[in-house]
Amino acid sequence: MQKDVFVIGSGQTRFGEWWDKSLHNLMQEAFDAAIDSSPCTALDIDMVIVANMLGELTNNQAHLGALASSLLPHQPPALRVEAACASGSIALHTACAMLESGRAETVAILGAEKMTDCSADEISNALMGAADSERDQPSGLTFPGIFGLIAKRYMHEFGLTRSQLNLVSARHHAHACENPYAQFRNAIAPGDVENSPSVAEPLHVLDCSPVSDGAAACILSTKHKSPVRLAASQIASDSLSITERSSLTSFLATKTAAENAFTEASVTNDDIRCIELHDCFSIAALINLEDLGFSEAGRGIEWYIEENPLITINGSGGLKACGHPVAATGIKQVNDIARKLMESKERFGLAQNFGGACATCGIHILEYAA
Amino acid sequence: MPPNTPPIVSRLHRRHGEKLQQGVIISYTHIAQPYSRTIGLIQLSDGTKVLAPLLGPNPSIGQNVSPRMYLSEVAGSGLRVYNIAYEILVEKAIPHPISPSFPGYILALTGPSGVGKSTISRLLTTMCSDFLVPVPILTTRKPKKGDDGEYRYVSKKTFVKLQKKGEIISFAQIPSSEEKRWYGYCAHDIEHLWTKGMLPVVITEMHLLQGLAGHYGRRSILSLGLLPPGRSKRSMLSHLLHRLRSRGRDSEKSIADRIKNAEADLQFFRERQDLFDRIVVNNNLNAVVDLVQQYTRQQLRDSP
Repeated sequence: MQKDVFVIGSGQTRFGEWWDKSLHNLMQEAFDAAIDSSPCTALDIDMVIVANMLGELTNNQAHLGALASSLLPHQPPALRVEAACASGSIALHTACAMLESGRAETVAILGAEKMTDCSADEISNALMGAADSERDQPSGLTFPGIFGLIAKRYMHEFGLTRSQLNLVSARHHAHACENPYAQFRNAIAPGDVENSPSVAEPLHVLDCSPVSDGAAACILSTKHKSPVRLAASQIASDSLSITERSSLTSFLATKTAAENAFTEASVTNDDIRCIELHDCFSIAALINLEDLGFSEAGRGIEWYIEENPLITINGSGGLKACGHPVAATGIKQVNDIARKLMESKERFGLAQNFGGACATCGIHILEYAA
Repeated sequence: MPPNTPPIVSRLHRRHGEKLQQGVIISYTHIAQPYSRTIGLIQLSDGTKVLAPLLGPNPSIGQNVSPRMYLSEVAGSGLRVYNIAYEILVEKAIPHPISPSFPGYILALTGPSGVGKSTISRLLTTMCSDFLVPVPILTTRKPKKGDDGEYRYVSKKTFVKLQKKGEIISFAQIPSSEEKRWYGYCAHDIEHLWTKGMLPVVITEMHLLQGLAGHYGRRSILSLGLLPPGRSKRSMLSHLLHRLRSRGRDSEKSIADRIKNAEADLQFFRERQDLFDRIVVNNNLNAVVDLVQQYTRQQLRDSP
């Protein structure tokens, strides 16, 4: 990072199914919470960056930059970014660029998604927009289907068993019990996962993150200080269609972004004490751990077999239990890591957020320096 | 699914040519919602990969698949959207086309009463008496004036006895208001002709034909259906009525029964075309006899 970028404020709505709240309401709630938690006032915000994927399709709402700007009394300049489920981390990355370049000193980043106003079919179709419309979509594939293909292949290559995979969602649900913002604050037994209805073989309902409403906001500043700063902000891309990848069981974008982030922060895997990773489907958590360098290929599951691992993985409950309002996720992850570092006084934490089948990956490393 | 407008569909169809290759399954998943389907990621022969529906039971990674076009959707505008699915190639033994127990051929003439089966059979078996031999029909009815040696008369008791012993391989009761009559064919009568190198000729109706085909196999039956001339069912039936009356063998009551049965026979011709190799309209006796001879010769020449 060319400048010290501090995480000075964070806030979010509880993720879930919010019948009574509009996209606008959710944005306002997260925004207010973030400003309240920060040492600055609304008027200190120089710019707003909004992350949103589905506004046009699920809410008939485009032009979200202006909408977000109007939440503040002085209506600062605002823009919207989109990279499917990675929209949140891309917004953070964009904010860093603004801060490092000196165009702004304090930026509010807001991720919001209102998904439950649509039927399941409509939302499945809308989310498939994150895959290749001419190569992937005409086959009738859905996102659970893409990760079904990935899980099937992973099991074939590495011999992962169905009962081992159950451990992933069970662990994430256990963590969510402590998180007041989580959509599902209930523990599940590993056996419940494979006994839940099948979605896309070998994945079951409890392997999949839910459809959620929610917003998360974060305030980054080079002017105001806080104990937590961003040590690295990196994004990377890979082919959009899985038909153009050489491997189904490893994501190149994660590897590239991780390598660059570790270099930027001058840390190694051993320095990281907590991770929020993108477990949109249980299998993704294992692949992410491997691509981030926390285990060898095919051995990601060892982190879940080990009952008290050295690193906290998805201490918030992850996408599975916290919920996954697509574009809010990347911002919520950074907020969670910042909070975790403040509580634990550990030095480094990492947030990994990807879009589609990891065609875009954003990685942020946070440092706590008291 | 993306909207299926003409330009999108046109681009989709243009890519089909590239995808029509055999391939290997890299991975697959069975999706339960919103409708059940199996989608595979397939590596094609040219090294590219495609996502497409998989057809066939029990896919597995590494299995070979072959492309197949299918109509995936008719869009609201009436646009027909074709897509490619991949079918799992299953190695399966094809049943041997020729049954190893193929016993021999039987020439069967089937048709409603009065159509001319007996006449054609008589002409054929007379003209080629050293090869085509009529098989006597076992019957429980009394001999009648005008019977021409095609029947072997047995009592009801004997008929049932032979039936129980399994010697009668095909039998039928022809509905009649006058009496209960049974007809049938004995295995021995047919099989001993084969041993002499002759071709048995049988006159059948729907039940007898099915019985023979069931016993010896459909392949054994050189099956000819005979229809009276006439473009409609009504004109065919009136033709039959005329013939039955003019041959003067049956009572008016028996003729009424025969016409009733003939209606069912015509229906059977329509429904069970699979039981006939050819259907011939008997409007010129000589021509029909020639045709049957020709057909029989050709079939035997082409036989294994």
